[in-house]
Amino acid sequence: MYEAVHAHPDGDATVARHAMTAARYGYDGVVVRTRTALESGDRNGEANATAPATDPVAIGDEYGIDVVDAVEVDVDGPTAASGAVGNRRPDHAVVCVVGGDDRLNRYAVEEPRVDVLARPNAGGGGFNHVLAKAARDNGVHVEFDLGPVLREAGGHRVRALADLRKLREIVTYYDAPHVVSANPASHLELRAPRELVAVAAEAGFDPEWVREGLRAWGDIAVRNRERLSGDFIEPGVRRGRYETER
Amino acid sequence: MKHLPKHLRPRWRYLAVGIEAWPDAVVGRRAFQRALWYGAGNLLGDTGSADAVLKLLSFSFSGGAGEAVVRVRRGHVGEARAAIACVSEVDGHPVGIRVRGTSGTVRACEERYMGRAAASSTQRDVAFGDAERSAVVRGDAYDVRAESGYVGAAAFDIE
Repeated sequence: MYEAVHAHPDGDATVARHAMTAARYGYDGVVVRTRTALESGDRNGEANATAPATDPVAIGDEYGIDVVDAVEVDVDGPTAASGAVGNRRPDHAVVCVVGGDDRLNRYAVEEPRVDVLARPNAGGGGFNHVLAKAARDNGVHVEFDLGPVLREAGGHRVRALADLRKLREIVTYYDAPHVVSANPASHLELRAPRELVAVAAEAGFDPEWVREGLRAWGDIAVRNRERLSGDFIEPGVRRGRYETER
Repeated sequence: MKHLPKHLRPRWRYLAVGIEAWPDAVVGRRAFQRALWYGAGNLLGDTGSADAVLKLLSFSFSGGAGEAVVRVRRGHVGEARAAIACVSEVDGHPVGIRVRGTSGTVRACEERYMGRAAASSTQRDVAFGDAERSAVVRGDAYDVRAESGYVGAAAFDIE
């Protein structure tokens, strides 16, 4: 099972600290949503010797956990999002678009290059049957954000729970792909998979469905890593063993 | 009062809970118990909370890490686990919390899951980002003091 985290400088813990904590909690991997957290060097490309560790493979080996290089596109409108997705797609295993307004939600589910529509209900954004069908047809995973359920209280939490329930009803009816996350911004906000499943079960989710959503991050990463590798030509076509490098 | 015959006594499960916080956090026993009850009350409602009866049996916390034993009615471990996961801060200090395991007796719970608290914390100056900063080190975990609060780092970041 995987968790998608916000790392320093976006969050309060570095990638290595997230990986360390997640490995202890029993996760198989962490998806790092923060683009800058895994970029080595500053703008001039000079590596900073005292900067936090940025190599996902090295961090993964150190803590025995899969560290996935991802990016979260958080922009104002579909035009900017489209540009950002086009730029980032070739370099990152997972591309998320932060939803939260109707036009962005619509853009994300209609774009097959997007892997995850993150936090579709965060702002005033809505989700309906049209978007669910588009998400299913384009293979865009809809994120179920348990963060507010874990960390908010009172009215905010009630609203978040109500939104999650509505989203769940729509997404399960059309069988659109989904991912589940607690959106942790530090190692303190991280929760073990069993805890997330227990909280979601209290909120009316089917436990196995939640586990599926936690595993889906890993499936996306595996599929996209294969696609980004040099041997991949198109779905079903790979460079064979008789092919030589020219 | 005369104690109940064995078959009428409530059956309990004991949850070993690991707690983590920033090094400057002060988390007291009463505050933690209150956070548990509030968490359960808010998530499970009064009836669910009464069913699960989250009672704090033992508690220790110092220097940003701690552990506790929480007593729960048998058959309500799932609800209790959810309520515990919803404790995100105690007295305004954010806490990371995790159920390490459950047992049928306090003794098994303590022997199996407790007392593995990380080494005591020490203060050190480390190079982090672009500056020399002070950090609180506990085992592999480095909590680095930054302009706005702490940043969680690991030994792998510093070396």
